[in-house]
Amino acid sequence: MARDAKLPDTKLSHTAAMILQALDGGFVYGFSIMEMTGLPSGTVYPAMRRLERDELIRSNWEKQSIADEEQRPPRKYYKLTNAGKTTLEASRRRYPLLERLIPTGEAKSV
Amino acid sequence: MKGSFQYEWAHRLVQYGLLRSASLIVPAQRRAEWWREWRGELWQVRQSCAPAGLRSSRGEREVTAFCLGAVQDALCLRRAGRHSQAPFAAMKGTPRLCLLILGSALAVGYAIALLLPGVRAERSLWPRKVNPNLVLIQQEGSSDDSWPTISPRMFRSWEGRKQKYFDGFAFYRVIREPAETGMSLGGTAAKSAWGVARASTNLLTLLGLPVEFADPEAVPGGLPAVILSEKVWKRDFGADEHIAGLKVRLGQQMFRIAGVAPDGSLGLPGRVDIWELVPEAEAGPGGSGYVVAHLTAAGKAEMWARCVHITANGPDDSEEDFLGVSLEEWKPATISVYLFCLLLALLALPAITSVSLGEYSVNPRPTSWPQKLYRWSFLSAKIALLLPIIYFVSIDLAYGWTAFSREQAVYIQLISTFALCLFGLRWVLKDQRQRCPVCVHRVAHPAQVGQASRTFLDWNGTEMMCMGGHTLLHVPSLPTSWFGSQRWLYLDTSWNFLFAGSSRPIP
Repeated sequence: MARDAKLPDTKLSHTAAMILQALDGGFVYGFSIMEMTGLPSGTVYPAMRRLERDELIRSNWEKQSIADEEQRPPRKYYKLTNAGKTTLEASRRRYPLLERLIPTGEAKSV
Repeated sequence: MKGSFQYEWAHRLVQYGLLRSASLIVPAQRRAEWWREWRGELWQVRQSCAPAGLRSSRGEREVTAFCLGAVQDALCLRRAGRHSQAPFAAMKGTPRLCLLILGSALAVGYAIALLLPGVRAERSLWPRKVNPNLVLIQQEGSSDDSWPTISPRMFRSWEGRKQKYFDGFAFYRVIREPAETGMSLGGTAAKSAWGVARASTNLLTLLGLPVEFADPEAVPGGLPAVILSEKVWKRDFGADEHIAGLKVRLGQQMFRIAGVAPDGSLGLPGRVDIWELVPEAEAGPGGSGYVVAHLTAAGKAEMWARCVHITANGPDDSEEDFLGVSLEEWKPATISVYLFCLLLALLALPAITSVSLGEYSVNPRPTSWPQKLYRWSFLSAKIALLLPIIYFVSIDLAYGWTAFSREQAVYIQLISTFALCLFGLRWVLKDQRQRCPVCVHRVAHPAQVGQASRTFLDWNGTEMMCMGGHTLLHVPSLPTSWFGSQRWLYLDTSWNFLFAGSSRPIP
C-alpha cells in the first residue's frame, strides 16, 4: 500500500504517540489507556479512531464467554499493527521521553 | 442515605442521557458498536471511580466527565463518516468524474432505447424502403389521391395484358369496418372502426416489404390472416412483438393476425389500419381502388419529376389518361435526422457561446506535450460520449411514446436533437474553459473581484482557482477591448505554501 511506504515519515502528535506507547505497554482498551496516559476520554477515543482509520492500530471484541466469566461487559481491545509499531519506533526517536512515561511491557496482563 | 441514592441515580440518568444523546450523533451503521463499546467502558469507569458501596460525588463527577468525552468521540466519528460517505467529494471536478457521469448517462440512454417498445420497433422496422420503381396509378384528372379512381375491371384488364412499361400490378381497396380486438388476450374486447385494405396477395411483395413479427408456427388454414399496419400495432397493441396469432373481428368475420407491415415508409393513400391479402380474383369485386405498379426500365426512363403519364386502353378498348406517381418518398432515418441536426447545431453554436477554449497567457512553466495531449483527449472523450447520449435521448423522446405518428416522431427528434446538440456542445466548451490547463481539474471557489463601476478602468470580474495550485482563472464581468475573454494566470512556486497538502499530480 502506498500509505505504508510513507509510514516511517509519519509524524504523530504527542497524544497519538502516547496512545501507541500505552498500547505497546499492554494497556489495550480505552479506559486502561486513559488511566495510563492521564488523558481525558474526549481525547483518547477520537485519537484511537484516527489511529485505527490510519491502520496503525486495529480492534477486536473480547469473547462474550470471557466477559461473562468475569461478570462484566465485553471489552473492545486494541492492538498495534506492524505499521503502528514502525510508526511508534519513529515516534520514540521524536519523543525520547515517551518510553520513560510508559515503559514497554508495563501491563502485560489485563 | 435516601438522598445519596437519589443523587447517584440522578447522575446515572445524566450519564445515560449523555451517552444516548451522543450515540445519535454517530453514523447509524456504526452506532450499535459504538454504544456497546461505550457501555462497556462506562462499566469499567464506574468500577474504578465509583465502585458499589463506595459512592462519592467526586467519583460520579468523574464518570460524568468520562461520558462527556463520548460526545467528542461521536462528533469525530460523524466527521469521519461524512468524509467516507462522499466518495465523489474527492472526485469533484476531476476529469474522471465528468467522464464517469457521461458514461453513465450514455448507458442509461442506451438501456432505455433497448427497453422502450416504440424505440425497439423503430429499430426493427427501419430501414425498410419502398421499392424505388413503384408508382401509384390514378386517373389523370384526379388531384386528390385519397379518392380511389381505378375500377377492378380496369386493373384486371391491365394485369391480363403484356405491358412495356410495367411488369407488376397490385390492387387494394379500403373499407371501414368495425373492429374488435382482445379476444386472445382474455381481456375485454376493444371496439373501433379500422380502415381495412383488401389487397391482392402480391402487394407487399411488390412493395418489397416483409411482414414483421410473423408467427413461425402459424398453421395454414383456419382463420384468414390479416396484417396489421405499424401505426395500429403501436397504437392499439403497444408495439407488442408477440402479436402474431392474436384474433381480431372485422365486421362479422374473425381473422388471425399474421404480422405487422411497416407503414412508415409507404406513401400509400387510404389510411390503412389492417391489410387483408386476398387472391387477385377476389380483390376486384366492389368499388374503385388503388393500383400500385412496378416500372420496367423503359417505364422508369419515361418518368419525369416523380411522375409518369400513362395512356392506357380500358377493358372496352377506350383510351384513358392516367398518372403514375412515384411511391418513393423522402423519409429520413433517425441517424440522418441526427446528423442533420448536429450539423445545424454546429453552425449555430458560435451564436450562443464562444468556441474558443480561453486565452492561455504566457506560462512560466511551459506545458508539456503529454499535458496538452491529455487536455485535448479529455475534450475529445467528452464530445465522443456526448454525441451518442444525444442520439439515444432524442430517439427515446421521439419514439418512446407509441402514440406519436412517425411524422410527429421525426419532428420531435429534430427539435430534441438540435436543442441537445446545441446546449450539450455549449456545455462541453464551457466546462473545458473552466478546467485548469495543467491538471484538467475544474477550477473552484469563484470570487468576485473589483467593482462594477470600475469595469472599464480597472479589473472587475470573477476569479477562480485550481485547487492543485497550478493556475488562477480570471473571467471579466464584461468583455472589454483590453480584457475580452478569460485569462489564465499560471502560479509559480511561491504560491505553493497556500496549497500544501492539496497539490495534484500533473498528468
